[in-house]
Amino acid sequence: MIERSTVLAAAMSVLAAGPAFAGKDTDTFTWTTSTEMDTPDIYYGNQREALITSYAMCDSLVHRDPVTNEYQPLLATSWKWTDDKTLELELREGVKFHDGTDFDAEDVAYTLNHVAAPDSDMKIRVIVDWIDNVEVVSPTKVVIHAKGPTPAALEYLTGTSPIFPSGHYESAPEVPGANNSTRRDWGAVVPVCTGPYKVTDYQPGQSLTLERNDNYWEGSPKGKPSIGKIVYRTIKDPETQIAELMTGGVDWIWGVPPENAEMLGSMDNLTVVSAPTMRMSFLSLDAAGRTGAGNPMTDVRVRKAVAHAIDREAISKSLVGEGSAVQKSMCVPVQFGCETDVTQYEYDPAKAKALLAEAGYPDGFEIDFFAYRDRAYSEAVLNYLREVGIKANFQFLQWRALRPLIAEDKTPMAHLTFGSNGILDVSASTSYYFKGSSDDYARDDEVRAWLDEGDSTTDPDARKGLYSKALKKIADEAYYLPLFVYGRTYAFNKDLDYPVTPDEMAHFYLAKWK
Amino acid sequence: MAAFITKRLALTVLVIIVTSIVAFMLVHLSGDPAAAMAGEGATDADIAAVRETYGFNRPLYAQYLDWVAKLLQGDFGRSYYLRMDVGDVLAEHMPITATLGALALGFALLLSVPLGVFAALWPNTMIDRFSLWLAVAGQALPSFLFALGLMYLFGVYLRWLPISGTGSWQNYIMPAIALGYYATPAIMRLTRSGMMDVLQSDHVRTARAYGLSPWRVIIKHSLRHAIIPVVSLAAVQLGFMLGGSIVIETIFSLKGIGYLAWESIQRADIEIIQAILLVIATAYALLTLVADLLNAALDPRIRVS
Repeated sequence: MIERSTVLAAAMSVLAAGPAFAGKDTDTFTWTTSTEMDTPDIYYGNQREALITSYAMCDSLVHRDPVTNEYQPLLATSWKWTDDKTLELELREGVKFHDGTDFDAEDVAYTLNHVAAPDSDMKIRVIVDWIDNVEVVSPTKVVIHAKGPTPAALEYLTGTSPIFPSGHYESAPEVPGANNSTRRDWGAVVPVCTGPYKVTDYQPGQSLTLERNDNYWEGSPKGKPSIGKIVYRTIKDPETQIAELMTGGVDWIWGVPPENAEMLGSMDNLTVVSAPTMRMSFLSLDAAGRTGAGNPMTDVRVRKAVAHAIDREAISKSLVGEGSAVQKSMCVPVQFGCETDVTQYEYDPAKAKALLAEAGYPDGFEIDFFAYRDRAYSEAVLNYLREVGIKANFQFLQWRALRPLIAEDKTPMAHLTFGSNGILDVSASTSYYFKGSSDDYARDDEVRAWLDEGDSTTDPDARKGLYSKALKKIADEAYYLPLFVYGRTYAFNKDLDYPVTPDEMAHFYLAKWK
Repeated sequence: MAAFITKRLALTVLVIIVTSIVAFMLVHLSGDPAAAMAGEGATDADIAAVRETYGFNRPLYAQYLDWVAKLLQGDFGRSYYLRMDVGDVLAEHMPITATLGALALGFALLLSVPLGVFAALWPNTMIDRFSLWLAVAGQALPSFLFALGLMYLFGVYLRWLPISGTGSWQNYIMPAIALGYYATPAIMRLTRSGMMDVLQSDHVRTARAYGLSPWRVIIKHSLRHAIIPVVSLAAVQLGFMLGGSIVIETIFSLKGIGYLAWESIQRADIEIIQAILLVIATAYALLTLVADLLNAALDPRIRVS
């Protein structure tokens, strides 16, 4: 792919013609990515494309400002915890759904109770699993009863939890299920929301069109929408995306390969910006001995040797490119509770060799190494490991083949990535990997206890303290080795004015033509 | 002839059944479809729920038989990913691939048959060498590179043609050329060698001796014989274009069958994969059958045997 991109980049860099952009003239903003959307309903899909769309067309109870990360009132005007399991929310009056019906407490209760039901088939359950039930107190007031203390509740109630009108899912088609039964395909219902844009056309696997909601309520922190039409198209091939962008067929792409970024940046009609994302890249090491007691990774000196062997700075800067940064701790810095003041292992191959010798591996050892994403990055890691004598048998698999191996104790060393499902709280990242699930190859009871407590304590300072302890121990023991946080490079029509944010999101409802 | 067709049809059905069983096994044994469906951020519980919903916890043979039972009722199943009935998904994607395949084959034949004939008429001349060069270039040039070259020239630089999508008929020009060119060398060379053989045969010499016009000899008495293997080859090439145009469909963002198959394999959309394999295997088998019948029509000797 890299060679292909270079060929096209070289060929296209000679092009200096100024194309006529259709975007601004027709007030139609077209964006494209290579992933087909499986549904625009974010409860039933977990793609960035669906989340971007959801933010534009839907409102949630709480808004997280994409620049300051502060929580602001959206459909809820205020909220308070009446005890550590009861969240009371006052709701906004005078808001209408795209279909013209009025928004009230019934809609909140309906939507959240529907997705929180155990058999709702919701995709990422953690977002609603904390909800026991939602009670309507009056048309402008609801109470959310949590199953237990949920400090991250407000985070869960932001854009990942849009509110649909009562009865929204009743039109879900009945489809064949397992064992000749039937089930409802809830995710097939196209969302109706209260947001700045409304869906006017959806072609599964192909495109989605949003049009400006001119009746969007005044005073929303998301602002009044400006651009008339937002069209999403899937274009698989990165070179095709670039060709379309250059000729004005599309106005926005992301994930521009580093080798193309410079060429696009030199074009008069385009803006190229890089920003960090929430996706972390790290090595999972079998400290717990799940793959067998004799596994070298059970020795902390070996794990530290691995950490010293890899030049994370070089991989992040030279290979991953703009927007990427070395990841210091097993979380992303924008997440609440992410302690980054933890033990760092500087690049020092000699020290790595010494540690290996001390651990009884003066000539290194052989180990199975698994990866599933961005082969080039994994190969860079392998090269560093080879330098200090660790010979890794590289197995590059698809996620669906790797996931069962991880669950079945078969991966002594794996190069993994995780985006925390876009949740800005350490309970979605560190807790995901170190609380004894099948992804946990450290199995440290002390760390687990701290995380458990942190996930269920409401006092923010106490939480920070607990997560800090857990993350410091994870780093001291070199359980997992954080490598880098992915960056993303965006390229778009220079007539477009919108904030590129560090949350791997595109807040198109804030966009305007210059 | 009837016995021949019956035997071929039975064989075809057998091939389709075996293909579908093998495909079903491969998809299930190459990883956990539930893990693919649940996505990356899924917990163990999320994955278990998916397994339960779609019945992946049952024995493979039971899942396969369920699929066959539904198929026999005309139900291709449902795409878990696109949330549409597979029949509707295919109806959306098939015409695109069929259009592309037909146009590409048309382009390939229009280019390669005349070239093959000219090359055979004037062997070892500039014409022959040019044809050979064109054929070698078609074989040597990776199709993605050729496609990107076309895209750069006609889409980006000259701006004559749309770059991607299926909005108008112009969208098919570049993909058809890119895909068809790939089939050109084989057809050209087969036409050339066939013509060379036929032109030296007794009946052509006789026809010439009778004083028939040269073009009549070439078209009616030579090409008709030389084209027989080309018909079989063209049928196979069309089968290839229907199933194997993944690269071209991806580059030009044509949402056809090849593209759909590739996407579906990546996300373990089993019912779509099964349906596509079934359709492609059937198309291949039918095309081969049609080629045989066409050959029989063109060559009486095949009809008799």
